[in-house]
Amino acid sequence: MNNNNKNLNRRDFLKATTATAAGLTWATALNPVWGGATNSARRKKVVIIGIDGMDPNLAQSMMDAGKLPTFDKLRREGGYSKLGTSIPPQSPVAWASFINGAGPGSHGIFDFIHRNPAQQCTPFYSAAETVAGSGFWQVGDHRLQLPFWPFNHTPSKTVLKRGGTPFWDYLDAAGIESTFYDLPSNYPPSKSKHGHHRCLSGMGTPDLLGSYGTYQHFAEDGPLRPKDEGGGYRSMLFFESETTEAELIGPYNEFLTNPKPVKVKFLVHRDLTSDAAAIDIQDHKILLKKGQWSDWLKIDFEMVMPSFLPNEHVGGICRFYLQEVSPNFRLYVTPINIDPSDPAVRITEPEKFIKEISKDLNLFYTTGFQEDHKALTNGVFSDDEYVAQTADVLDERFNLLNYATKNYDDGLLFFYFSSTDLQSHMFWWDSDEKHPLRSPAGAKHYFEHLQSVYSRMDKMIADILKRYGNDALVMVLSDHGFANFKRQFGVNTWLRENGYLYPSNCNSILRDADWPRTRAYGLGINGIYLNLKGRERDGVVQPGPQSEQLLDEITDKLMALRDTNGQPVIRNVYRSSRVYQGSETALAPDLVLGYYRGYRASWTTCLGDTEPEILSDNKSAWSADHCSDALEVPGVLFSNRPIKHPSPALMDLAPTVLAEYQLPRPDTMTGTNIFET
Amino acid sequence: MAFINNILSTALAALNIAVNALANIIFAPIGFLPGWLSNTIISAVMGVLLLILFKYTSNQKAIGRTRDYIKANMLALKLFKDELSITFVSQGKVFLGAFRLLFHSLRPLLVMMVPAVMILAQMAGWYQFRPLKTGETALVTIKLNNADPKNNNNPNGNTNRILPEVSLAPSPAAEMTIGPVRIAQLNEIRWQIQARQIGQHNLTFNVAGQDYHKQLHVGPGLQKISPLRPGWKWYDIILYPLEKPFPADSPIQEISIDYPNRPGWADGSNNWMIYFFLVSMAFALLFKSALKVKI
Repeated sequence: MNNNNKNLNRRDFLKATTATAAGLTWATALNPVWGGATNSARRKKVVIIGIDGMDPNLAQSMMDAGKLPTFDKLRREGGYSKLGTSIPPQSPVAWASFINGAGPGSHGIFDFIHRNPAQQCTPFYSAAETVAGSGFWQVGDHRLQLPFWPFNHTPSKTVLKRGGTPFWDYLDAAGIESTFYDLPSNYPPSKSKHGHHRCLSGMGTPDLLGSYGTYQHFAEDGPLRPKDEGGGYRSMLFFESETTEAELIGPYNEFLTNPKPVKVKFLVHRDLTSDAAAIDIQDHKILLKKGQWSDWLKIDFEMVMPSFLPNEHVGGICRFYLQEVSPNFRLYVTPINIDPSDPAVRITEPEKFIKEISKDLNLFYTTGFQEDHKALTNGVFSDDEYVAQTADVLDERFNLLNYATKNYDDGLLFFYFSSTDLQSHMFWWDSDEKHPLRSPAGAKHYFEHLQSVYSRMDKMIADILKRYGNDALVMVLSDHGFANFKRQFGVNTWLRENGYLYPSNCNSILRDADWPRTRAYGLGINGIYLNLKGRERDGVVQPGPQSEQLLDEITDKLMALRDTNGQPVIRNVYRSSRVYQGSETALAPDLVLGYYRGYRASWTTCLGDTEPEILSDNKSAWSADHCSDALEVPGVLFSNRPIKHPSPALMDLAPTVLAEYQLPRPDTMTGTNIFET
Repeated sequence: MAFINNILSTALAALNIAVNALANIIFAPIGFLPGWLSNTIISAVMGVLLLILFKYTSNQKAIGRTRDYIKANMLALKLFKDELSITFVSQGKVFLGAFRLLFHSLRPLLVMMVPAVMILAQMAGWYQFRPLKTGETALVTIKLNNADPKNNNNPNGNTNRILPEVSLAPSPAAEMTIGPVRIAQLNEIRWQIQARQIGQHNLTFNVAGQDYHKQLHVGPGLQKISPLRPGWKWYDIILYPLEKPFPADSPIQEISIDYPNRPGWADGSNNWMIYFFLVSMAFALLFKSALKVKI
């Protein structure tokens, strides 16, 4: 790998050459220690491009129509197949299966949301968890943690919940370089033991507020007090002499006994004649005209400390977008991202990797979810504004890919694109049925826009093949496909109506469930859990025959479920004990629901709520999804080499990469090499 | 205060004309030498010159006596380290000596301050900012003199009318991309411009039929840049000497352009000044004995 050591001095050069010579001698002598990879194998190039949510049906129809010439060329001259996805087909689950070369039983991620049975269903994000610290020194309004002797306080920390061994650990041990950009399900990034692995965390990486992206919106018609609307804050602006003051909400000052968010005041001056505004925030003075985005700005959040200590500073970055000057002034601010030039938390392995990238690319999105779908869902963005924002994100990611290829010599290069997924969620609509929000013409227009994103991916792959086509194994894959999301199924409502969840007017399992009478509950997007004795704190269902009988009963009823038009809703109900193997199954749901295309769990189900109807129309701008049955939404796999596996799946990729470097498949992996029959 | 400001501003404005003319000749090589080299040469020469200036403006005899006094007490500290009372007294005398040294430095410091600041201001023109690249945008701000909204009874509450009409004349050097944004509360008008043509240009602003100019620098390499054309404030006139200040009664009080910071460890923004102090100090210490200067 080229690590940009351009300023090598004589001493460094001598050290490097001596170390290289010594390393080569040892490497040759100790080949078995390196896991059997030969020198020539180690120099092989493998490039994997992950295109989240790229759908095989749409890709095939576009290839047939000549709209994806590069993918079509790969299909004809290399290899192409639908790619089996995970159960359930959710991105964190799917990408973790790719990482481990095995199913969810090996990594323990079964849904976006898990629950803590010991706390009777407290939900948490499945891929990472913030563990509270212990011990502190109370100083007035502050709590100070002193993590050294004799105090030995333990600060809180975020831990990666993905279990098992990621496949790059085997490459790392064998001395094979691997670099991952925007890798999902790997925040905080796992450590490299041997220094041959680098990673920039992707999906799951939070913003500076600790959320997965909280925008801030300031408008004259905003709420009087800042309102948290799930994914963003809205605030009201009141202009006096065409100037107003506003507050940007930053991270919590966790040094306070009662933590409060740190706020940064800024001034907005507007000029109605010019249809433009000036924003003064800290040292930045920017001018924006209507419809214009600012560059990334560094913002310093000062955390007040006790008077005898200097204040702490946490830096973040954000962009301003002036939506309207008059009559209703509207200003959008992106989620406050972790500053890649001076990150407040570790988002890369090694830690300095992000600074190296930033030295070249300056500032860019670092949150896992970069496309602000929440802003569209909550009506802050129009469709076209979302299109523009996602286009910016994609341009940034192409710059990052350019950096990645510039700094890549050999080993494994993985690069991930989220745009296809987060634009499909909002713009996919492949039927003549009525779209939840758009007119038929509008639905068609934005579905065509989505196809243009596929075309940009095609051009990007053409460039990759041009660079590495003959020298590298190139694989392009998606973790799942897509389907319309027209109807939503209220899992807890159904459980309540069928006598599994009490009381009969239960609104939320987190607030008013009658646990001594409740036998089953839904949480997350695809899971149903039994209220199992010995596992759940207030469990009532006896493990063994009683629970087995209950699972059979629920399964039969769900499979018999029909929509008002007689259409079946659920294609498969998977028994987790039958579909998951491995050591990490403790938090698995007991049943995993696989929906037919067009259906998904309701919005309220995800956090354990109920709704008036069991089946209802989805009325959200989030009009497409993939959290249905794994068989309904396979992903895609393209390769510049013929694929021999009759039905490749995500977990086959890791063993394939290891095989390419002549490394054996570990016992924990269930996948097989796709280039062998 | 206005009277003092007026005197100082008049004097500094006149002095700047001479200093600019001289600096244009002396510092001309900066334009084609590598930045670190020119800064090293200037810092070294300045270190020696300021040392000589120090020699002739300070009381060298008194400084010599004070240094001997400090030395004697240091010796006492060493010899009588077991005598607590002598230790304390000698320590106090060392501190007293240090304060005396500081006192003896005040006169030369006061004498050197004005020329040193003027030279640093000239150097800042070269090293603090870089010119705009073609296609790059920058913020242009004018501060107005006569637009206090408190003194204006505007029945419509439309504060934009309070500020005078100011126009930025079209120029092949730069295109106006945003603005004007009139900020009545700050008496400011801002524009965003995009640089188009390499060279040193003039932006022309028109207020009530009268033209006002501000230099604009576009292009590669080192150029002497004036980020601010100051108003009639003596401290701005000394810090931003490269353009003629606006008179006190001018409707425009100052015009600034936010140039990008210059990168560079020895000739980049702020670093150039640290480098200057280190190198000039090193050369001053190096030549101290040869020039027989006591500091």
